[in-house]
Amino acid sequence: MTLRRSILAATAACMFAWMSPHEAIAQAAFADVGKQPPITILINSSPWFGGFEKIVQLYEQQTGNKVTLDVTPFGGMLEKARNAVRARQSPYDILNLDTQWTIEFYEGGFLSPLVEIDANFALPAEVLTFQDSNFWNAERRWRTRDGGKLMGYSPNGNVHVLYYRSDLFEKAGLQPPKSWEDIAASCAKLHAPPGMYGYVHRGERGNAVRFDWMPFMISAGASIVKSPENGDFTVTVNSPEAKRALETFVDLGRRCAPPNFGVLGQGDLIQLLATGRAAQGMAVIAAWPSFEDPTKSAVVGKISTTVVPGPAGAKPGIVIGNWHFVVPKSSPDDRKRAALAFSRWFLTAGAQRAYAEGGGIPVRSDTFTSDLASQPKFRWMKAYIDSQPFARQELGFAEGAQVEQILGLRLNQAVIGEISAARALNLAAAEIEALLRQSGRRTGLLAPLAE
Amino acid sequence: MRAVAARDDGEIDASARLGARLDASFRFWCLWPCIGILGALTLYPLLQLVPMAVSTIVFVSGESVWSFTPRRNFQLLIEDRVLQAAILNTLVFVVVSVAIEMVLGFFAALFIACLPRARPFARTVMILPILIPAVAIGSMWKLIYNYDFGLLNQIVQLAGFGAVNWLGDKHLALLAVVVVDVWHWTPFVFLILFAAIESLPRDVLEAARIDGASAWQTIHRVILPLLAPALAVAALFRAIGAFKAFDQVYLLTAGGPGTATELVSLHLNRVFFEQNQLGYGAMLALTVIALTVVTILSGRRALARS
Repeated sequence: MTLRRSILAATAACMFAWMSPHEAIAQAAFADVGKQPPITILINSSPWFGGFEKIVQLYEQQTGNKVTLDVTPFGGMLEKARNAVRARQSPYDILNLDTQWTIEFYEGGFLSPLVEIDANFALPAEVLTFQDSNFWNAERRWRTRDGGKLMGYSPNGNVHVLYYRSDLFEKAGLQPPKSWEDIAASCAKLHAPPGMYGYVHRGERGNAVRFDWMPFMISAGASIVKSPENGDFTVTVNSPEAKRALETFVDLGRRCAPPNFGVLGQGDLIQLLATGRAAQGMAVIAAWPSFEDPTKSAVVGKISTTVVPGPAGAKPGIVIGNWHFVVPKSSPDDRKRAALAFSRWFLTAGAQRAYAEGGGIPVRSDTFTSDLASQPKFRWMKAYIDSQPFARQELGFAEGAQVEQILGLRLNQAVIGEISAARALNLAAAEIEALLRQSGRRTGLLAPLAE
Repeated sequence: MRAVAARDDGEIDASARLGARLDASFRFWCLWPCIGILGALTLYPLLQLVPMAVSTIVFVSGESVWSFTPRRNFQLLIEDRVLQAAILNTLVFVVVSVAIEMVLGFFAALFIACLPRARPFARTVMILPILIPAVAIGSMWKLIYNYDFGLLNQIVQLAGFGAVNWLGDKHLALLAVVVVDVWHWTPFVFLILFAAIESLPRDVLEAARIDGASAWQTIHRVILPLLAPALAVAALFRAIGAFKAFDQVYLLTAGGPGTATELVSLHLNRVFFEQNQLGYGAMLALTVIALTVVTILSGRRALARS
């Protein structure tokens, strides 16, 4: 380590120790990555961005290396990423891809597998891989480490958790819900519109309704297609279990959410919880900082989290919505290596701890078992880590984006009462089957549900 | 002497003809840069859509691979149920919003033109909405329509009624979107018609008044016929604009709930960008362009006939 870097690292560590009440940070292990050329990261302005921005500042202070962040709203991310990888030279050295988009980029051959940049690169064993969505097996066209190449890693592993107002639950003598029935019962006690909605989830057309219905579908034992990992794309979304799941989803929304449940998006849901107008709601873990920031929230210290439940007596079904840091093939070699150097640093225990303290959602399991988890500020960690055994990836195949569009529309039509649950699922099943057949997949259909 | 004069006349004629030919030739060649730029920026991208529209495009090893699949794309177009809803919604959106904008714009122009004072001030205030970016308008109206916190529902509740689900009710959502378009674009119609009203011949209006025409008769028999060209231009421009409406609808409802506010522009965006179906997206784009041109031409013909 050069003298200049040593001074920089020591200054940064001191500054961070001063900013943080936890003395452990100063001694935490950070990687020495040496002097690297500047890199640019395409990153979304999601609720967890604040934590990531702080960790990048710490990296710059410690290493003297420059990182430029192109902060983009979710809606513009995909097109910027596409344009970058299709250009002769990518303006970005790390792209942040939503789990739904990864297949297009893996399959299109736009990315450099990380071991092709540095043959010795490997993820630390503690890093969560969210059902291997960061590996790509080109032959099987499936995301798996079994025969797959390491394509990236998650800077954020979003999963759903159930947020609830611990003060209201305590006052009403209620326990944190463990089933949909518990949610309905607590909603019945706490629902007093328009000042207080008993429970909220998203019904907005598109990704919102599809993503929020998934825990209902998975925990009911239903699926969208039979066994895509084994090449069996028989469409199963119109099963009786899926119908029950959709009916429960719609019923809870109609009984407990605002009447505009059919257009309720993530921003609206967070707003309802943060302004104290919802007693409980299902949202991704990334929403947590919004409830603890006194400039944005009227319920600081009053929100707790628990694992999203399922039907009484059944296992929960959590859906993963993780992000992926990947390196474009068209980025110059020296910047690819710099991107990897940043990654190596970012995934260290010290950086992940600092990331959590800055408001980010870490991706190392040892951060969740550290002393942080017992601190009130990090009371969300238990629900998050307890959710992991039940978490699974959905739509991890090339047609995923189109399937999401189909489901996003038909589920929304059921939510607003335009069509019945059975009709919505029958329509979706027929459309998904037609799409998969056109793509040459081995597919089929269940018998239609009675409408 | 006469022979010399005739020869001189002939020379002058030849020289004039040569000058005229050079002039025409010069004008002809002067057009080419313009045609070239127009071709490069408009026609070339448009023509590029044609091979895309009959292909399926996938990316392998970072390169695009095209396969010729016109039947597949056409079949997708025919079977696209969301497109059918989108076309119907777009037609309703264009007809209703343009009709309201024309009526409001006309009467606003007439009213402000008749103001004895403060006309420049009123005109400036009227055109403010056009100056606001569509993104800001979408966000502003989304807040106004918000079920729990919105201004509109606060007024409705103060008046003793229950909150209205403006954007979430499938029967109201398209109307709510039309209202925003009317708010945004009526000033555009106003601006065109106000300029036209200001330039109407005063003697004709004076003659109508002396002949004893009532206000309604003056409007109906004198002003409206004189404004016909300006009305046609305003209607045409607004119809084109309404066909292309995207940004504020995307921000307000993103096409929902269900397909209640799905417009062709939103559907095209979904297919092309969200689903990454480049071939079918191109076919959809060509279809939308063709539909727009046919509708606009039909409208123009109908206007010309009337």
